[in-house]
Amino acid sequence: MVYDVSKLTDFHYSALKEISNIGIGHAVTSLATMLGNEVKIMTPNLRVAKIEEVAEYSGGADKLVSGVLMKLSGGINGYMVMLLPLESAQLICKTITQEESPDITNPMNESLISEVGHILGSTYMTAFSDFLKVDVFASAPFHTYDMIGAIMDNILIQMSQEVEHAIILDTLFMLKGNGMDGKILTLFDPISLELILGHVDAMFH
Amino acid sequence: MIVIGMADYAVTRSPEKLTTLGLGSCIGIAIYDPVTKIGGLVHIMLPTIENARFKDNRAKFADSGIPFLVEEMVHAGASRRRMVAKIAGGAKMFSFNADTNLNIGERNIQATKVVLAEMKVPIIAEDTGKNYGRTVVLDTDTGIYFIRSATKGETQL
Repeated sequence: MVYDVSKLTDFHYSALKEISNIGIGHAVTSLATMLGNEVKIMTPNLRVAKIEEVAEYSGGADKLVSGVLMKLSGGINGYMVMLLPLESAQLICKTITQEESPDITNPMNESLISEVGHILGSTYMTAFSDFLKVDVFASAPFHTYDMIGAIMDNILIQMSQEVEHAIILDTLFMLKGNGMDGKILTLFDPISLELILGHVDAMFH
Repeated sequence: MIVIGMADYAVTRSPEKLTTLGLGSCIGIAIYDPVTKIGGLVHIMLPTIENARFKDNRAKFADSGIPFLVEEMVHAGASRRRMVAKIAGGAKMFSFNADTNLNIGERNIQATKVVLAEMKVPIIAEDTGKNYGRTVVLDTDTGIYFIRSATKGETQL
């Protein structure tokens, strides 16, 4: 079955959101454990957008964020991106290193934020792996502090060669008490999306 | 200020400004005619429309977007002989791009230069490559191309 992403049913939407919800639940719990704090997760957002508009939907093309990017491979292919406002990235560093005003562009803090992104990403993907019964691997994480458009355009360029629309699953998470928030975005390639939706259909019909 | 999205373009005249936000591997090509003060900006994503699966948007590719922009500027009253270009973008944001022989930023820069040379539009300034994002603004009153980056401040071309 071939799915046209611009014509997904409500059922597909709910199913994708539910899998994502479980994934993010696991991921943010691991973050909370690391940082010793309580977590609040907002309901995942699922949007179909033209590739050219993804950066705008992700928070604004020139908004500065700390971004960690991972490539997904194995049973499903795509990308996962964690976007953190500067204050959230600093808070992560501060909590772990006790440094007063951390510079997130120094190599030590960069690798720390990358690792946090990687743990979040891998935990999140475990939910997809369990559901689909396939292995999904997240690549080594890459971190940079830059504009959302610049962080994402390479991914979007790659995707634009195969599809016109992308499915964006994005989830906002917040750590209670210290005002930290962040976003996790996942973008799947069309074949992977078919696999995921095929599973959804097989389970429920 | 006219904001141009990814794979988008616009042509305007003084005193209007044109901008495009958060260029990573993409390129922002600004073309200007200093006499009529007509300026154009295109935000390309890929080097070539040839072999592309979706060809409906010419502004997406260097080899179709640049000729398209020049055409639109001529249509607006600019002189082709007076046109000059300034280009920015084509960064390599993450090192993993290296494993695939597809350093898309570099390929975009090369294609942009080849196309502009073929069209005989001289590149009089550029800020390309490296590993950071850029937001650009073309001031059609002066022809100045402002480049802002996250950590390197603002420069003028």
